Amino acid sequence: MGSRSEFSPQTLAVLVALGEQPSAWQHGYALAQLTGLKSGTLYPILIRLADRGLVEACWQEDPAPGRPRRHLYRLTPDGLASAAVAAEPIKAERAAAQLRPGESLRRGRRVAAPVVP
Amino acid sequence: MNWPSRLASVTGRVAVRLVPAARRDWAEAIWAEAHEVPAGWPRLAWRAGGLGLIAKEGQMARRIGIVTLFAGAAGAAAWGAWPGSPVSHGAALQGGILITLALLAGLPLLTRWWLGPPDSRAARCLRAGFFAAVLVLLPVQAIIGLFVGLVPRSGINRHTFDIAIGSGIPGSSSGGPNWGGEIWILIFTACSLAVVLALTARRTPVAPATLVIAAGAGMVLGIVMYAVAPVGLNFRYPYRPWLHGSAAEAVGVLAWILVFSVPLIAGAIAGRRCHVPDDPDEASVARAWQGVAAGVVSSGVGAVFVTVFGSSTTALLVKSALVRDWFYHGQHVTASAVYGRELYASQNVQGYFILLIGFPIIGVILGVFGAAVANPTPRLPDGGGPRRPPDPPGPELLPTPPDRLRSTSPSSPG
Repeated sequence: MGSRSEFSPQTLAVLVALGEQPSAWQHGYALAQLTGLKSGTLYPILIRLADRGLVEACWQEDPAPGRPRRHLYRLTPDGLASAAVAAEPIKAERAAAQLRPGESLRRGRRVAAPVVP
Repeated sequence: MNWPSRLASVTGRVAVRLVPAARRDWAEAIWAEAHEVPAGWPRLAWRAGGLGLIAKEGQMARRIGIVTLFAGAAGAAAWGAWPGSPVSHGAALQGGILITLALLAGLPLLTRWWLGPPDSRAARCLRAGFFAAVLVLLPVQAIIGLFVGLVPRSGINRHTFDIAIGSGIPGSSSGGPNWGGEIWILIFTACSLAVVLALTARRTPVAPATLVIAAGAGMVLGIVMYAVAPVGLNFRYPYRPWLHGSAAEAVGVLAWILVFSVPLIAGAIAGRRCHVPDDPDEASVARAWQGVAAGVVSSGVGAVFVTVFGSSTTALLVKSALVRDWFYHGQHVTASAVYGRELYASQNVQGYFILLIGFPIIGVILGVFGAAVANPTPRLPDGGGPRRPPDPPGPELLPTPPDRLRSTSPSSPG
């Protein structure tokens, strides 16, 4: 019997999405597209992860002309470790369910999920 | 940009201001990111999520709940206290009610801007308790005032009224609050409210533990005081229906002891528990703050407790036959005797205001004294006081004898 993860499936999806490119800063909308989460779900997760020191955030320095500055996110070293641990059960679940790459089981329905390396 | 998106954009920019400063970046981030979302419904949905985040992080549900609760309680209190048409002093009462509610609503905002919001559960509970007490006292005092002011038409009740209150026009309402009395009550209410708000604000150096200790001690004092004076305060002819003989005397003595010991002990405990700076002067100030707070809060809670419960008991006696039956159960008293007791009790309720004024003054003095006595300024070696830098190495000096001992040394004459 596997131990229950400390993260919700949505939080795991965010961690995994951020873990795809650990060194790159990512935007909120891109993360929403990767995880399939709505803004009202995604941002509270990012806030909690930042509070726990797993995600760091900063403001874009050179915004596109006529656009406001965007908030950027990436995993901290602790967050990277958590993402690696979090990805293991997802890989195992995916292998067990023999899903196609790019899909994951979340809350009993199939949704788009980031490809875990 | 279509009008729903434009409306959502403007709403969001305003709503972001409701989020605490520490979280405002996130609210602004979600709003900035909306520009990357395809226009139309997707962008609107994105912003709707942002509004949800703002509502959650801004603790708007809690704020709305608190405001709704206060508005409901204030409305109920005003409805219960609002004078009817036969009351001649209605204008003064109405003015008093409205100004009291305005104070309850406005002073916290002023204090929040000046001293910050309450930052602990103890502080919030203390504020809520004080607000509840004021809101309960509004209708209760109105009921008692109306009863005392209503002149019986004839019979023995009229005779009793004339002895207790004085003559008046039968069937009319006389006496009761006037503008002068209302103004004094309002000034006292405003001062008490200001003290409570200041002691529970973030930027006042009063520890949450001090508030808890003092409130607990004050409740003990209030319960004993209520047992001693449940229907008004009368030192000469106290009425304690549930205490008889030696028990009444014993509880009376206990109440007197508690009046002075509760703020003293609360101040001592609060002064000992608080974390003080290393600098002796700063430590003294910090302890004095805890002592003042512990003394005022413990005595104040005791006084407010007995005032609220004593006044409410008296109002229920006046208003409810059921409570009267329960109160006088087993006693053979006539209806006119009951009226007389209620009349005296209603008059004696004014005595609680002596406690409301006097107890906090006693509390300040004894609270500071308790804090100072429990934690004297560090002059003793290790173990005798709070944190102190170690003495430099060298021969241990004998303590300097006090002056009175010096004068009796062998070298001195006599």
